[in-house]
Amino acid sequence: MPQSHTLHNFDQALTNLRNTVLMMASLTERSLDNAMTGLFERDTHLCNVVIADDEEIDTLEKTVDKDGYDVLIRFQPVASDFRQVIATMKLSNNLERVGDAAVNIARRVKKLNAHPALPEVRVLEPMYAEAKAMLKDSLRAFTDGDMEIAMALKPRDKQLDRMNKDIADQLTDAMPKQPDQLRGYLNLLFVARALERVGDHATNIAEDAIFAKSAQDTRHLNPLKE
Amino acid sequence: MPSPAAMSTPSTIAEQLAFDAKDVCVWYGEKQVLYNINLGVRPKSITAIIGPSGCGKSTFLRCLNRMHELVPSARMEGNITLFGDDLYAPTVDPAFVRRRVGMVFQKSNPFPTMSIQDNVVAGLRLNGIRDKAFLNEQMENSLRLAALWDEVKDDLHKPGVSLSGGQQQRLCIARAVAMQPEVLLMDEPCSALDPMATQKIEELMQEIKRNFTIVIVTHNMQQAARCSEQTAFLFMGKLIEMDTTEKIFGNPAEQQTEDYITGRFG
Repeated sequence: MPQSHTLHNFDQALTNLRNTVLMMASLTERSLDNAMTGLFERDTHLCNVVIADDEEIDTLEKTVDKDGYDVLIRFQPVASDFRQVIATMKLSNNLERVGDAAVNIARRVKKLNAHPALPEVRVLEPMYAEAKAMLKDSLRAFTDGDMEIAMALKPRDKQLDRMNKDIADQLTDAMPKQPDQLRGYLNLLFVARALERVGDHATNIAEDAIFAKSAQDTRHLNPLKE
Repeated sequence: MPSPAAMSTPSTIAEQLAFDAKDVCVWYGEKQVLYNINLGVRPKSITAIIGPSGCGKSTFLRCLNRMHELVPSARMEGNITLFGDDLYAPTVDPAFVRRRVGMVFQKSNPFPTMSIQDNVVAGLRLNGIRDKAFLNEQMENSLRLAALWDEVKDDLHKPGVSLSGGQQQRLCIARAVAMQPEVLLMDEPCSALDPMATQKIEELMQEIKRNFTIVIVTHNMQQAARCSEQTAFLFMGKLIEMDTTEKIFGNPAEQQTEDYITGRFG
């Protein structure tokens, strides 16, 4: 735990900023969970909750930005404090996009739920489990400054990309066999694509966690180039 | 033995250092105030020295032109060279060192009985220069360099103390650069100035570093971050860390530096 600042207002402002972004993270995780539960359990009500909650996530993003600017202007932080503020503002941006992905999934799921169930929905379960775990781990890396978890996110994102590709192949193969379900398959493809984007955002959050902790910029490095 | 982070300028720099301080220790009477300072200053750049009150930064600055010798109980060990010349060799006259290494103080100190123009050339006159044309030329050049000429060119005969605080400080800079020193030491030059006057001094520093090496002691960390290329952090008489300003204010190597610049002590 770092030593307190001599200026207590500064500590308080940093704590407030962190608390707001953690609340946003919790709401975003819940939205993603609701959207996918809406898919697996054909619960359209949950999808409506996701769409309604997005406004709150957007408001929190603006609050984090405003509080972040306020800290920069009032306290002019440097070194680790500066990185923490910048990384928190970037985290809120990534969370807002995860929230948008949840809304996009919810909208597609509402369309899917209006038609008979597709058995292929279950192929998304492992991909969702991994995307959800990646998001959770990236947030843990950020809050705990856990570099080991953060560094592991990039290879996991590659794995998630492969899962997305495999699902796309499976659904594309299924399309000619059931041409009347074409719209449904396209909606599932879209959901898989949204989960893949969640993985990208989790990777971004992990990169920002690394930057906040160690000042290293690990973006656009590709250790697993295939 | 200093820690690696406290080693002066990165060894990859092949250019000759302006100042090269080796194992500098200073005592005032029995009290030791500086401990084995090893610090290199690059030429034609701005080096900032930061640290809490009483850390020895002003004392170190004064060692760079032997001003500390004006305190009777002061004693220094170690070695300081200026472009390779030993400033503390027995044959070196301190007055000669101070001609090579000018100084601007926290509080502007124009000579109160002298006009603006006389203030600027006071040092030259003191060194026996009587050529009026040369003195006038130096006066104008120095005032231009100090970005003061346009403001005072019609009032050169007025007393130096009739100027505003910021103008008086620039007059002192003009007086210092009139001696054509190789280095300008600045001991908290903006601490008594308002933001606009501070901005002018900072712009002036960027201008004059083309010709001079500048070492500035400042309590204002934003000023150090804005103006300097290198920053040294002193704490309790020891050099904790010296590196590029970007590194010191972005990701310092030493925890003590991090704690100080982020306001966790001091």
